[in-house]
Amino acid sequence: MTDFYVLKLLDKLRGGFSRIGVDYDVMRSILQVKLTMDGRRTPTVLAGMQKKEEMKEGSPLRVQWIYLLFGVMLIPLMMLTGNYMLQMSLVFGVVMFMITTTLISDFSSVMLDLRDKNILASKPVNRRTLNMAKSIHILIYLFSVTLTLTGPSLIFCLFKQGVLFFLLYAVEIILMDCFILVITALLYLMIMKFFDGEKLKDIINYVQIILTIGITVGYQLVIRLFDIAEMSLSFNPAWWQYLISPIWFAAPFEMLIGGAGDTNFVVLSVLALVIPLLLIVAYIKLTPLFEKSLQKLSEQGNVGKSNARMVDWLSKITCKNPVEGMFFRFSWSMMKNERDFKLKVYPAIGYSIVFPFIFIFGILWDGNVSSIKGSSTYLMIYFGATLLQTVVLMLRYSGSYKGSWIYKLIPLPNTAPIYRGMLKAAIVRLLLPLFAIEAIVYLWLFGLRIVPDLVVVLFAMLIYAVICFRSYPPVLPFSERYEAAKQKDYTANSFGLLFLLMGMAGIHYVFTLFTGGVYIYLLALVVLNLWIWRITFPKSVSSAGHGSSFPG
Amino acid sequence: MGLADDPVIAISGLWMNYTDRMVLRGIDLKVYKGQIIGYIGPNGAGKSTTVKIMLGLVEGYNGKVEIFGRDIADGDVSYKKRIGYVPEVAELYDSLTAREYLTFVGELYGMKRSDVDYKAGKLMDLLGLEKAYDSRIATFSKGMKQKVLLISSMLHDPDILFLDEPLSGLDANSVMVVKEIFASLAARGKTIFYSSHIMDVVEKISSRIVLIDGGDIVADGSFAELQEKGREGSLEDIFNQLTGFDKYRDIAGEFVAVMQEVPSHD
Repeated sequence: MTDFYVLKLLDKLRGGFSRIGVDYDVMRSILQVKLTMDGRRTPTVLAGMQKKEEMKEGSPLRVQWIYLLFGVMLIPLMMLTGNYMLQMSLVFGVVMFMITTTLISDFSSVMLDLRDKNILASKPVNRRTLNMAKSIHILIYLFSVTLTLTGPSLIFCLFKQGVLFFLLYAVEIILMDCFILVITALLYLMIMKFFDGEKLKDIINYVQIILTIGITVGYQLVIRLFDIAEMSLSFNPAWWQYLISPIWFAAPFEMLIGGAGDTNFVVLSVLALVIPLLLIVAYIKLTPLFEKSLQKLSEQGNVGKSNARMVDWLSKITCKNPVEGMFFRFSWSMMKNERDFKLKVYPAIGYSIVFPFIFIFGILWDGNVSSIKGSSTYLMIYFGATLLQTVVLMLRYSGSYKGSWIYKLIPLPNTAPIYRGMLKAAIVRLLLPLFAIEAIVYLWLFGLRIVPDLVVVLFAMLIYAVICFRSYPPVLPFSERYEAAKQKDYTANSFGLLFLLMGMAGIHYVFTLFTGGVYIYLLALVVLNLWIWRITFPKSVSSAGHGSSFPG
Repeated sequence: MGLADDPVIAISGLWMNYTDRMVLRGIDLKVYKGQIIGYIGPNGAGKSTTVKIMLGLVEGYNGKVEIFGRDIADGDVSYKKRIGYVPEVAELYDSLTAREYLTFVGELYGMKRSDVDYKAGKLMDLLGLEKAYDSRIATFSKGMKQKVLLISSMLHDPDILFLDEPLSGLDANSVMVVKEIFASLAARGKTIFYSSHIMDVVEKISSRIVLIDGGDIVADGSFAELQEKGREGSLEDIFNQLTGFDKYRDIAGEFVAVMQEVPSHD
C-alpha cells in the first residue's frame, strides 16, 4: 500500500482531529485503505478506454487527465472581460454539471458501500471517527476532481483577471463543492426514502447517460454561446434566476469586480455564501439518517414481473426456433438486470442519442430551418447505430460470468440459435426503441417524405448488427469477466465499424440520387438481410460458421 | 457449565422489530466464560439479528444487552476490542490483498502495523495460505476467503468470538483444524458464540446449544440435557421436533412427484 501524499498533508491536522474526538490513527488507516481501493477502480469516464493497467498501483488522482482536458476548455471562457454575470454563470454551470455528474456516477459506489457497515462498524471504531473518515474520503475525491477541472482556469485568471478575481474564484469553488456535496447527499437521502436500493442504482445509471449527453451537447452549446457573449447581452434580473445556483456564484464577481451595486446582485451574492453553509449544517444533522437509510440498500426490492408476458410475446414473434426464443428471453433479462452491462452500455446509448442530432442542431442554431427540410442530412440517423458495436461486444461479459457453466451442462447441438436469440434481443431491446424515438424526431424535422428512407435505414442497421457481431470473435453471451475486456483491444475494430457505418450512409445517399432508387436499395437490403442472417447463424448442425466452439 | 463469575454476555428482554415484522420476542440469555454456544434455528428465526445487535450493527432494539458487564448502548465502543466477528456473508474489501486487509483490520483493533503483519503472516502460513498473502482477495476461492475472515476475527486475541457459519467452504482438514482451535480457545476461557445450519458440527463442538424459533428461545442446554428432556435422536431430530417441523417426508414426496409430472398443457 502506498502512503498517500494527501494523508501526509492530513497528518498536520492531527491535533485538530483528536480534539473533536476523532481517533486519528484509525481514521488514517481507513482512509489509506479506501484510497488504495479507489486506485484499483476504473472510473466511468474512462471505462471504455481503460487498458492493461490493472496491476498498477494508482492513486485516485491518476486518471484525471480527462478532467484536465475539460479544465483547459474552460480557459476561453475566462478571457472575456466586462460581462461577469454571463461569463461566470457559464463557468460555474459547466463546472457544477461536470462535478455533480462525476460524483454521482463514479463515487456513488463508494458513498454507498454497504460492506463498511459489517467490516468497520463491528470493530472498535467510534461513530465520529467513521463519519469523519467517510466525509474526508469524499472531500479528497471531490477536491481532486475540482482542482483538476478548475486548475487551468484558476491559473489563467490569476494572470488575466488579477488577484482579486483569482481569490474570489477560489473561495467560491470551495463553497460550490460544499453545495454539490450536500445536494447530492440529500438527493440520495430522498431517493432512498421513497425507493429501494435497486431504484437508486438505476438512477445512477441514468445519470451516466445524462453525463455523456451533457458533455457532448454542453460543449456544443458553450461554443455557440460565445456568439451571444460577444454581443454583450445585459443581465436582466428575473425571479427565476434566484433559483439557478450558478448565477448566485456569478453575482459576487459582478458586484466586487464589475462594481455593480444593484440589490439583486447583493442578494444573489449572499445566497452564494449562505446557502452552502446552511446546507453543510443540515448535512451534519442528517448524517445519522443517511446511515440508517443505507441499510435499505441491501434490502432486495421486488423485481418487476410485469413485463414477462411482453418479453414472451416478443420472443415468439421474433424467434421461430424455441432455443433461440429461450436465449432471446435470457439475454433480455440479463441486459435488464446486469448492473455492469448497463454501466458499460448506457454511455454508448447516450452517444447514439446525441450523434444523430449534433450536426442538425448546428444547422438549426444558425437559423436555417428551411434549408434542412430538403436536405439529405437525415442520413445522420445512421449514427444512431453506433451503440450496436458496444452492445454486441459487451454482451459477452458479465459480473457473474462464472454462471456460464450452464452452457456446458445443457445439451445444445448448435450455438447458432444462442447467438441469434442474443442478437435479436439486443436489437429489440436497445436499438429499436432508440431508432423509433430518433425516427419520430426526424419525421417531425424532415417531413413524411423520409419514411421510405427510414425503412431502408432500419434494414441497413439490421445488417450492420450482424456485421458487428461477426467482427468480434464469437463468445457465448455473459460468459467472460469484465476484466478480460481490458486485455483485448478492439479499437481498430470499432473504427472500422464506424467507417462502415458511414459507408452505408454513403451508399444510401447514392441511391437517393435517382427516382425509385430508395426502393431498389430497400429490396436489395431485404435480400441481403435474409442472406447474411442465414449464413451467420446456420440452421444445420454441421455448418461451421459461428457455431464452432465453446470458450475454454 | 456456568462458572462462578459474572456472565460475559447478559441479554434480558430483547425485542426487535423491523418495519413489518417482529424478529425477536423477548430473548433472555446469559453466556459465561469458556462456553461454546451453538446458536441454531430455522432461516429467519433471528439468529443473525441477535448477533448484529450485540456487535452494535443493528440499532433500535428494546431490552438490555450487557457485554463484559457493560450496557452496549452507553455509546462506548471499546468493548468491541475484545470481540471477533465472522459475518454470515463473506464480506471483505476484496480489492485489497490479504496482507493489506489483515493489517488494516488489526490496526482498527488498535494494534501496531508491524505486529499485525507478523502475526497475520504466521497465521496465514498455518492455514496453508502462505503463497496467497500478497494476492488480492478477489482472486481467492470461497474457502480461502473464509480463512482470511477467520484470521481477521482472531488477530487481536479476542475474548468473545461471534461466528456465523464459520466453516462454510472449508475442506475437511481445515474444518478439523478450526474446530480444534475453537476447543482450545474455550479451554483457555474464551467464549465462542456460533451459529450454523450444520447440525452435526453443532452437536459435536458446542458445550451448550441455544435453539431459537420465531424470535424466541425454545431450548437451551447441552446436547445431553436436550436429549434427557425426552428428545430422542440426533440434534437434527431435536431441531425438527422443537421447531414443529414434521412434514419433511410429505414435502419431499410431493417435490419428487412434481418433478416427474408430465405437463398436461403445452
